[in-house]
Amino acid sequence: MRQMKKITAVLLAGALAAGLAACGGSPEDSGKNGTVSGSGGAHLNFSCYSYSNSMDPITNVNSSWCFVRYGVGECLFRFDENVNVENALCDSYETEDYTTWVLHIREGVKFSNGNPVTPTVVKESLERLYQAEADKTGNSTPSQYVTFASIEADDQAGTVTLVCSSQTVGLPGILAYPWYGIVDTGVIDSEVIGTGPYRVADVQENSSIELVKNEYYWDGEVPYDSITIYLTEDSSTKAMALKSGDVDLVENITTPSDLAELEADPQYYVSKTAGVRLGNSYFNFHGVLGNDALRQAILCAIDDETMCNVTVGGMYTPGCSVLPSSLPYGSEQLTDAYSYDPERAVQILDEAGITDTDGDGYRELDGQNIHLNYLAYSSRNLDEFAQAVAISLEAVGIGCTVTVQDYDTALANQSAGDFDLITSNAIVVPTGDPTGFLGNFYSGNSDTYGYYVNEEYDALYEQLLGSTDEEERLGLIIEMQQILIDDAATLVHGYYNSTFASRADVVAGAEITPMDYYWITTDIRPAE
Amino acid sequence: MEKLKRFVRKNPAFTVFFLLALCVIGAAVFAPALVTHDPYEAVLADAVQPPGPEHWFGTDRMGRDLFSRVIYGARTSLSASLALVCIIMTAGTILGILAGWFGGILDAVIMRISDMMISFPGMVLALAVAGILGASMKNAVLAIAVVSWTKYARLARSLVLKIRERDYIAAARVTGSRTSHILWSYLLPNVLPTILITGATDIGSMMMEIAALSFLGFGAQAPTAEWGLMLNEGRAYMTAAPWLMVFPGLAIFITVVVFNLLGDSLRDVLDPREERQEPGLGRKENE
Repeated sequence: MRQMKKITAVLLAGALAAGLAACGGSPEDSGKNGTVSGSGGAHLNFSCYSYSNSMDPITNVNSSWCFVRYGVGECLFRFDENVNVENALCDSYETEDYTTWVLHIREGVKFSNGNPVTPTVVKESLERLYQAEADKTGNSTPSQYVTFASIEADDQAGTVTLVCSSQTVGLPGILAYPWYGIVDTGVIDSEVIGTGPYRVADVQENSSIELVKNEYYWDGEVPYDSITIYLTEDSSTKAMALKSGDVDLVENITTPSDLAELEADPQYYVSKTAGVRLGNSYFNFHGVLGNDALRQAILCAIDDETMCNVTVGGMYTPGCSVLPSSLPYGSEQLTDAYSYDPERAVQILDEAGITDTDGDGYRELDGQNIHLNYLAYSSRNLDEFAQAVAISLEAVGIGCTVTVQDYDTALANQSAGDFDLITSNAIVVPTGDPTGFLGNFYSGNSDTYGYYVNEEYDALYEQLLGSTDEEERLGLIIEMQQILIDDAATLVHGYYNSTFASRADVVAGAEITPMDYYWITTDIRPAE
Repeated sequence: MEKLKRFVRKNPAFTVFFLLALCVIGAAVFAPALVTHDPYEAVLADAVQPPGPEHWFGTDRMGRDLFSRVIYGARTSLSASLALVCIIMTAGTILGILAGWFGGILDAVIMRISDMMISFPGMVLALAVAGILGASMKNAVLAIAVVSWTKYARLARSLVLKIRERDYIAAARVTGSRTSHILWSYLLPNVLPTILITGATDIGSMMMEIAALSFLGFGAQAPTAEWGLMLNEGRAYMTAAPWLMVFPGLAIFITVVVFNLLGDSLRDVLDPREERQEPGLGRKENE
């Protein structure tokens, strides 16, 4: 009898536990797996990091990227897989002096709500972007790349005439940047409507986004009837969701072990591209890192090969210049003045008189212990780099504390100059051209990037801005890269390799492009 | 000696758990002698190596020896949780005794604050506090202290309310004892055993909370050797390198279990009224 009671109690407890566990199941579990949606059409489950809750290009950089990345909107131009600019909503253009550009807007293109894309709408969309910047209703800063003296629309001729404030050679590339995405200005107050292959049906902030097919899409067949985007912060969670079949496609698995597992398993297809993203840490020249010897020693103390290949498991390709070796900017002509050599690091510090005089294990500069304030954020393995750098610096007697902050806080501290070192991961050719990025080291712009100043570099940069000759530009760009290397202007970690991972039996065509403005495209389709 | 033997024979469970707890504390105190490597020395090229003769528990993603880090983690985790329990025990008991003894407005204020504290989920409030103060071990301890003292305050208050009407207190009042004397010599000693037992059982759960905050990034910061933080660092490698999570996880598990059982057996020791009944002497089965 007593035994019986015990058994009953155990069974009841078990049933209760099982019942509770069953209650925890997610409502998405039923019916949405695979490629068939509830309504019977093709459905894709995609998981990605949420960079912004907004999809309005004027809100900020990240929101404009979401607009394009989610396949909701498009620009007048776009980049192909070789980072060349190709026509999109604009199907032809003319310019004689690189100042006045006449763009012909593709005929018959409609927004996803059925409204036609006319030159007037394009004009209004661009004007709205600049207006938002001017009256500070948005944080996007389109004038960073180009400002217009005038924008004229001619609906009869189907053209928009842009008059730039100054000669702008790479205008198509600039207009391919997500900020310049074209929205339907007629309805923008209530919803963000673009010309992309999909339309937003529902948004659950920080949780999921439902997309449905754009019936009016102009550029070929849209393969999915609906797409659910799951917004997932954590890389391992994304990988697990893919493995469990909850999602069919994920972007940027940044945990090396997860990525290695997916690559080894033929069930999954991993698309990897030599990225156009630089992972680096900016030095603050207004602090102790204004000392040349200290920066040079830091570069010598950092083993970027091991960090790229082991610490972050091959997520980055090592290099010494700010421009990735995969881009045609003469990386083979550059010499790494401060390659990994810990003994040389110690030697440089000793020779510069940066030594440990009080025997506490840390070197001093001007009588004060060197203790670097290293800010990092966890995106794209940057925190791992920061920790590995801190460990390497401790080994040569340079104190360093890593503080991992969220992206916005870190950026605010960066703008305020409240750091010694800060991690960064940025596309170096955002408009198909590195001029803008190289401008981060120009004394006129470098206040938010650690106050680097070099007159020679400034002169070359100004020359680059005015130059239209391809060969001359290349020569200048190479020269500028070498100056940055010789000056130990920044700590280059490596070049980020973007990835897409998909379930091979469910999804086809899931290739990541070097310019990662594009995630959901019509190339991604159900597997045959 | 004879006394000790009798004590051990009478309280075998307490003795065992006390010795185990001593072992854990010993590991923390003598960590430098126990470890095989410097827990902060990293060889980046030797990252994520499986357990083996060179590295007993393997290495973490920065190439640091995991065994040494787990042993050193005991220092961080133990000192933080002991400090935390001391803080909340002292603060909570003092406030509780004051509230219970003086009553009135003081009681109302202290107890309403305590009500407010317990009406929030503790961990969420601790997260908010740690978020505002900034992430560090000290702030994590503070954050948890802010939300955890209420338990002791309510306990102390209810005990005081029970005791204050007793005859010996009335006698003390009649004979003209000062309030401070009554609080110190009559109330505190009567409240203390229960508070101490609660404190001892709390060490384990406080350790969990600190580890949880560190796991979430609000407590210890890299490169500190702390179990919760190590769990988080190993999380990304859960399937590929499970030892990164298994060993810190085991360390937390063992320590928490030891301190919880120690707290339980301490209750048996300090509270003679609840002596264990011999098996078979319990309630009769209706057979």
